[in-house]
Amino acid sequence: MRSNNVLGLIFSNSCQDSLPELTSHRTTASVPIGGKYRMIDFTLSNMTNTNINNVGIIAKSGFMSLMDHVGSGKAWDLSKKHSGITILPPYAGVNFANVIETLYQLRGYILDAKEEYVLLTQSNIIYNYVYNGMFDLHEHNNADITLLYKRMPVPEKLSNPSVLEADENNKVNKFLVKPEIKGECDLYLGTFLIKKDLLLSLVTKALSENELDINRLLQKWVEEYNVYSCRCHDYCAVISSTSEYFRFNMQLMDSKIRDELFNPQRPIFTKVRDDVPCKYGLTSHVTNSLVSQGCVIDGEVENCVLSKGVYVAKGAKVSNCIIMQDTKIGENCNLNYVIIDKDVDIKDNKSLMGTDSYPIYIAKQSVIN
Amino acid sequence: MIPKQEVVAMLLAGGQGSRLGVLTQKLAKPAVPFGGKYRIIDFPLSNCVNSGIEAVGILTQYQPLILNEYIGNGQPWDLDGMHAGVNCLSPYQAVSGADWYSGTANAIYQNIDYIDRYNPDYVLILSGDHIYKMDYNKMLQFHKQHDADCTIAAIDVPKSEASRFGILNTNPDGSIYEFDEKPEHPKSTNASMGIYIFKWQKLRKYLIEDAKDPNSSNDFGKNVLPAMLDAGEKMFAYTFEGYWKDVGTIDSLWEANMDLLNPNVSLDLSNIYSRSPMMHPHYISDDAKIQNSLIADGCNISGDLEFSILFAGVKIGKGATINSSIIMPNAIIEDGAKVEFAIVAENAVIGRNAVVGANPEEVENKDNWGITVIGDNIKIGENVKVPPKSMIDKDMEGEE
Repeated sequence: MRSNNVLGLIFSNSCQDSLPELTSHRTTASVPIGGKYRMIDFTLSNMTNTNINNVGIIAKSGFMSLMDHVGSGKAWDLSKKHSGITILPPYAGVNFANVIETLYQLRGYILDAKEEYVLLTQSNIIYNYVYNGMFDLHEHNNADITLLYKRMPVPEKLSNPSVLEADENNKVNKFLVKPEIKGECDLYLGTFLIKKDLLLSLVTKALSENELDINRLLQKWVEEYNVYSCRCHDYCAVISSTSEYFRFNMQLMDSKIRDELFNPQRPIFTKVRDDVPCKYGLTSHVTNSLVSQGCVIDGEVENCVLSKGVYVAKGAKVSNCIIMQDTKIGENCNLNYVIIDKDVDIKDNKSLMGTDSYPIYIAKQSVIN
Repeated sequence: MIPKQEVVAMLLAGGQGSRLGVLTQKLAKPAVPFGGKYRIIDFPLSNCVNSGIEAVGILTQYQPLILNEYIGNGQPWDLDGMHAGVNCLSPYQAVSGADWYSGTANAIYQNIDYIDRYNPDYVLILSGDHIYKMDYNKMLQFHKQHDADCTIAAIDVPKSEASRFGILNTNPDGSIYEFDEKPEHPKSTNASMGIYIFKWQKLRKYLIEDAKDPNSSNDFGKNVLPAMLDAGEKMFAYTFEGYWKDVGTIDSLWEANMDLLNPNVSLDLSNIYSRSPMMHPHYISDDAKIQNSLIADGCNISGDLEFSILFAGVKIGKGATINSSIIMPNAIIEDGAKVEFAIVAENAVIGRNAVVGANPEEVENKDNWGITVIGDNIKIGENVKVPPKSMIDKDMEGEE
């Protein structure tokens, strides 16, 4: 299967209820992560690195920041003559209540696409993966549906975790929802490949039977169709809660994970901002941190992820924090285990302390004085 | 038909920049990396965009591959418009034959058709080897107010350095009465910045005349400007105040980079656009110590760093020390190496415990001291000592 015969669909509101603070004014897809990225950059880059040329981003609510970030799709090389990125918001009288209704409402868009296959993906999966192997398996197995999974423990607070059981030929026998499992399992990544015609007929049928739960439907399809599984062997994080979000950012201090996730052969693209290189002042002291361009650091920083344009003033001590773009931290502040959203202004001499298991969150554009 | 543009900028980027030695062996001077994530040409290009100039022709000749690739369709500078934008203009073959650009004026002469297509009122001539931020629009207003045929941007230089520049001697109203190229005894300190605005029809006429003169070296400074002055055309000097530096030599390139780390120098890099490589934020390990430095994306740092500039993707090993140096994209400084007062070009590798360059305070005979330059893709072996002031264009093997 040629990848230019696949239409990519990304759900931008994946797992939104489990990330209440971070998604209070944005989609899951546009949550800042890893310093300079947004969550959707990983799936979008995977698609462009797979040579998928046509991508639809399903936007249910709060998609201003998503539209701003994605723009024309140029940053991912997805601004094409005949295809590229399309943001798909709800339209008059229609809401995207669940996956089935959403796909039904978008049937016109899906039908119009010249591609024969559809790859449905989520925005809360952070991985660097090319889908070509999955396409080959799908063809080789003569599958109706191929589900992507990762061998890993179930992440904390993941709503409705789904686990696959397959035979030695990767044919899925069982699709288990919320099973009682300790340790590693074959966790379904909410990503599957299907022929467009089959998808639309399944969706229409499901709707006519008022069967709207996608997990329940997948259980049914596993019994009725040729459903195969494909294992993702690359590093993969499922962002299912604020603490998982924190944990993932901190994992980036591990050079092995960084090398795998930011493989130069398969770059992770993001919207370019013309920031100047990061400036370290005479009084700066930085250790074990990931720092983006545009930052100015005069204070002490350890175990932190700093996004673009962050300012850390002289005498400030910032440890174990995730700081999003253009936030200012005043002189002699002391911060530990804090997630600070965009454009926050923390005045001089302030102290904010969270804990390892419960980092505190400061909302976008807050002023702390 | 192409819609009219009031101003077309022509950027002279064909020079070899031989004084930059190994740095310009495989690329034109305007493409030399600068300031942690830029190339020199980003400055005039960004100035154009920030001044509202939408049509820019780049005259390339020497080693144009990297420059052409870098400019691409001009998108990072917003110069990819429907009707105007950036074009790289190389010498070409025509019915009458093929010619290299024999001088700065000849490069423009050979592209008269390119400029004519836009039917501009004015042409702005720029060079690709200066670091500065300037609003060309203010200079254009000055040009219009004085109804000048030619306006030359000038900057006040220290008297001791004036003989290195083309000096503009002016009347009290700013009009130029004499053009003194690198004078031994300069009458003023008004140095030409190599930035000219012409009325296009006027310049067009002089370029055609100049091309007919077999004795001309087809150069703006040597031929065209003096010819216009002799003919009594209205020529004015426009005084620019702000940071400006010619980065045509290793020393001045190094100094201009170091100026970025000096809080007393007024050169800020905001609104300078560039083509960015896609790399993750840089990582500073537990072993690193960093002071007064600029660091771009994609770096991985475990060593000590002070007064230095790191471009994208640089790796600094454990126990390595970097002082007052410029490390260009993707260079690797291995564990324990020491790099002082040096420029390390792209993809170079400095082996374990090697020593590159020296601190001037530790060199007895100051005549033997200078900035050390390691060429691109050069490998310096383990424990090798590279003396100050040297320029390395071949691999140096380490001790086994």
